Amino acid sequence: MLHSYLPVIVFAGLGVIVGGTLAMVNGLIGPRRPSRAKDDPYECGLPSEVTRTFRFGISFYMIAMLFILFDIEVVFLYPVGVILRAAHSVFVLVEVIVFVVLLMVALIYVWRRGALDWR
Amino acid sequence: MTFHAPHIDYAGLSPVIALTAGICAVLVGGVFSARRQRLVVSVLSLTTVAVAAGLCIWQWGEREDLVAGALRLDELGLAGALIAILAAAVVIPLSWREPAAERPGSEPRHGEFQALLLSSVLGMVLLAQAQNLVVLFVSLELLSVPLYVLCGSAVRRTQSLESGLKYLIVGSLGSATLLYGLAFIYGGSGSTDFTTIRDAVGSGLTDDPLVLIGIALAATGLAFKISIAPFHQWTPDVYEGAPTPVTAFMAVATKAAAFCVFVRFFEVALGPAVDNWQPALAVLAAVSIVVGNIGALGQSSLKRLLGYSGVAQAGYMLVGIVCASALGVNALVFYLAAYTLMNLAAFAVIVVRERESGYGDGIKAFEGLGRDRPDLAWPLTIAMLALAGLPATAGFMGKLYLIEAAVDADYTWLGVAIAIGTMISLAYYLRVVAAVWMRPAAEPLAPEGAGMPAMAGGSPEADPLPSLAAATAAPRPGTRCLAILVPAWLMAGATIFFGVLPSPLVDWASHAGGALTPFLA
Amino acid sequence: MIQVMLWMPVAVGLLCFAAPRRAVPILAVAGSAAVLGLAIAVVAGFDTAEPGLQQTVNESWIPDLGVRYQLGVDGISLFLLSLTAVLWTAATVFSALRTPERRRIYFFMLGLGETAALGAFLAQDLLLFVLFFDLMLVPFWFLIGAFGGENRIAATTKMIVYTLVGSLLMLVAAIATAILASDQVGHLSFSLADLSAHTVSTSSQYWIFCFFAAAFLIKMPAVLVHGWLPDAYKAAPLPVLVLLSGVLSKVGAYGFLRVALPLFPQAVVHFQELILVIGVGGILYGSIMAFTQTNVRLIAGYSSIAQLGFITIGIFSLRPDGADGAVLQMVNHGLVVGAIFLVVALLWERTGTEDLVRLGGMAFRAPVLAALFLIVTLATLAMPGSANFIGEFYILIGVFQSKIVYSFVAAIGVVLAAFYAIRLFQRSMHNRKPDGIASSELSLRDVAVLAPLVACIVGLALYPGLILGRSDAAVKDKIAATCPRLPAGKPQPGWTGYAPIPVPDRCSSGHPEISVIK
Repeated sequence: MLHSYLPVIVFAGLGVIVGGTLAMVNGLIGPRRPSRAKDDPYECGLPSEVTRTFRFGISFYMIAMLFILFDIEVVFLYPVGVILRAAHSVFVLVEVIVFVVLLMVALIYVWRRGALDWR
Repeated sequence: MTFHAPHIDYAGLSPVIALTAGICAVLVGGVFSARRQRLVVSVLSLTTVAVAAGLCIWQWGEREDLVAGALRLDELGLAGALIAILAAAVVIPLSWREPAAERPGSEPRHGEFQALLLSSVLGMVLLAQAQNLVVLFVSLELLSVPLYVLCGSAVRRTQSLESGLKYLIVGSLGSATLLYGLAFIYGGSGSTDFTTIRDAVGSGLTDDPLVLIGIALAATGLAFKISIAPFHQWTPDVYEGAPTPVTAFMAVATKAAAFCVFVRFFEVALGPAVDNWQPALAVLAAVSIVVGNIGALGQSSLKRLLGYSGVAQAGYMLVGIVCASALGVNALVFYLAAYTLMNLAAFAVIVVRERESGYGDGIKAFEGLGRDRPDLAWPLTIAMLALAGLPATAGFMGKLYLIEAAVDADYTWLGVAIAIGTMISLAYYLRVVAAVWMRPAAEPLAPEGAGMPAMAGGSPEADPLPSLAAATAAPRPGTRCLAILVPAWLMAGATIFFGVLPSPLVDWASHAGGALTPFLA
Repeated sequence: MIQVMLWMPVAVGLLCFAAPRRAVPILAVAGSAAVLGLAIAVVAGFDTAEPGLQQTVNESWIPDLGVRYQLGVDGISLFLLSLTAVLWTAATVFSALRTPERRRIYFFMLGLGETAALGAFLAQDLLLFVLFFDLMLVPFWFLIGAFGGENRIAATTKMIVYTLVGSLLMLVAAIATAILASDQVGHLSFSLADLSAHTVSTSSQYWIFCFFAAAFLIKMPAVLVHGWLPDAYKAAPLPVLVLLSGVLSKVGAYGFLRVALPLFPQAVVHFQELILVIGVGGILYGSIMAFTQTNVRLIAGYSSIAQLGFITIGIFSLRPDGADGAVLQMVNHGLVVGAIFLVVALLWERTGTEDLVRLGGMAFRAPVLAALFLIVTLATLAMPGSANFIGEFYILIGVFQSKIVYSFVAAIGVVLAAFYAIRLFQRSMHNRKPDGIASSELSLRDVAVLAPLVACIVGLALYPGLILGRSDAAVKDKIAATCPRLPAGKPQPGWTGYAPIPVPDRCSSGHPEISVIK
């Protein structure tokens, strides 16, 4: 009974250890450049209280949108992973290549169009 | 666990594959070609269009289910695809000097414009072949989303942005309504496949409230897309504001694809419930004919006028669906083809005139055209007479076909409605022709020098100087733009040809309509 | 041959776009003369004894819709074709001598119009007829709108809207006829022969006939639906008016004979009195209006309404005599009104006015013009000895046989015609010459246009049998459908509620005394 929960407990323990270590290492060796925005309780690099005339950098949206697009599209590769062992076929290979090429085209477009440059 | 690669009929899917590859090529070609972008991109997209059209013709006559029954390869779908492809092939040269696509600097404007156009065509090809509720919805969105962007693509013009936004909001409303309706139909019948729905509805679900609500909502959603009154209010505004080549594409190709799926959805999936939707659609058709024609009467902008006329024409075409007979479907396909020819000819002339005269697309821009520019006046005249349904044009044959179908299906009153609508429509179509031939040319108006403020995207520095813009935007009268004139004349010539010798087009339409014959009484 | 005749005008019209500018009028004249020659050849080759169609063409056109390309000539259409060719030649020559601006499109539209008019007379397929009937509007709309006088766009739009109201309903009605009859025919067919062999049920005939009648009456125009006439006649250029009044108005009357009578016999009998009332109303209204107007064009226009009233009642007497007279009168009236409008054009050139009050004294220095005009005037008022007299006489006999009351009223119209025709002649030719108006003789070229028309009028007056002998058989064939079907014991009430008087025995033969004239 308890035996079957063991992986969960191990996983949780590992998570706490790894996460905690990383946070501590970050605090020890990372550079410190405090600013008011960073001291806010909710920190994302932007002031949390904004005035009416505040203009939000469009680059954030651009990156966020691109992230969502490519992130979601990669999700479509997941089903292939599920059947990977069974699918020893050229068909699957070609399908995956086609999919990735389509993503590549999108990436090339995004890159050439300058959407990846931070402005 | 074993895996079996599904059977895929690549031949049947080849038009779709060709278009997809073409879109990628155009997109990449656009970002890698700075100076000769228009040439590179146009060659790529025209090749794509030609290949896709060739593959459609190659597949003509095949009838089978593709992709596990999601798509149906038959003549009806291919007919819709061919019409959309033809529209794109004409619209590409129309867009060459369009401010929406022709921008200073090395931005890949033409590449984006044409890639969006081709994406929309891809959506149309899929939509015309859709045989599944999910594919129907997804391809409808694939059709619409690029159009929203294209409508607003003249970012320096307020009207264009307004048009894009308006289309986005109304189009989303239509899509949502359609989706809601599809959900009801799925809930009622338990399937997303057209033929399975047909069997389910046929076995005692014809009066099921879920299915009935679904039919009503789906019809409303589709009516939004093809601008059937009373769901047409967006049409004139969007048509007027959008860049004219986009308007031409929207007016023609969207209607063709949406009507193909409309007829397939209603005659195949909802065929057994015909008694429930037939009277409702008949009323919609009649309302659309009346509202569209009366609305067009007072318009002075030719694009608005054609927008309202499109509402009326959609009403005529809806009659073909109402008939629920093989003759009705044939008539619908014939009329779609004829409508494509006439409208593209008219819009091509508007595009030229809009750039030449200072009056935009106002009717004043066309006064005295017969004397000054007979090469433009004739295609416009033929298109207007054909839209009005005068004899010896494809428009007359189309109306004849539709009225025959209506009378044959015991909807004589709809035939009379078409006749009455045509009478009203003469008043505005002939007003245009009268302006072309019977009025002296209007005083040339100096193009407005003041540049529009940048509304979105881009920066003021990217705008050319106002005086420069005026000089480039308005070539002197007399400039021959063969790339536009040739398609205009071809379309007008075909309109007359199929008005005098309609048999080839009639045969083509009955082949296309024959795809649905097994489902029709 | 009739195919060449049908398509030649529009082909020549298209050639005009390719021809050098100076050659355009010559080309157009040559084309119309060639058509006239073909028309004469058709008349010469016509077999008098044969009542049916001759020179038929029957090709598949749109098989899916049951539409065939069927042409043919019979006794009714024969002389209407000739009339079309004659008047078109006259109008073309008259215009060519004056070389209008934008001549290419002008002569192209004239050619298109001639093809459409010839096509309407030749078509033996109901849909083909409707198509040509509608097609006629386009060139005339253009000709009036682009070359007409003041207020031309409003006038021409009014005309086309009026006429298309009728003809689009006719399109629906034609399709309904074919589909309703397709059960009996066995397949969808628009062929007039098939449709007249299998007429549709009586109740359907009623509304279908109403739609057809609306189209034909508007085209003629009959009284009540003549609203487009004054404006269009005032705005139209005069050579075009010759055709509008001379040929196009006949297509409506011809449609009754060709389509309505054989296809909807019961409905024709049912609505006979209504149409007779409209016809007689047209005679009286047209005559009185013609007498009160001072604009020369409108006098001729209203007189056309009166004359077409005669033609209508002749057809709707449903007696062979009446219909024979109607066919003869169609040709007569076309020639006469054509000549009148040409004279009006000549007057306008000389005086710059079309107002009778300001005209006068033209005969003083132009005796030839006056003499030719006198002949035309006398023909208009149906002077005994003219072909119009014979036509009206036949019509009155036909009406006398079937509905005696109407013939008495219609006879008043003959008298009224004398009033307005003589008034027109006197006020323009006689009286004192007002100041500032030059009276000058016809030029030789104008004589060449006007004289042949007058010669035709005189020729027909001398030998009306030329038409009557050829039209009689075909007319009887068309009338036959409407006559003998009345059930003897139980007369059906007409639209007035009274039973029509059945006289089936007189239907088959003409009046013995009259046939001497033939």
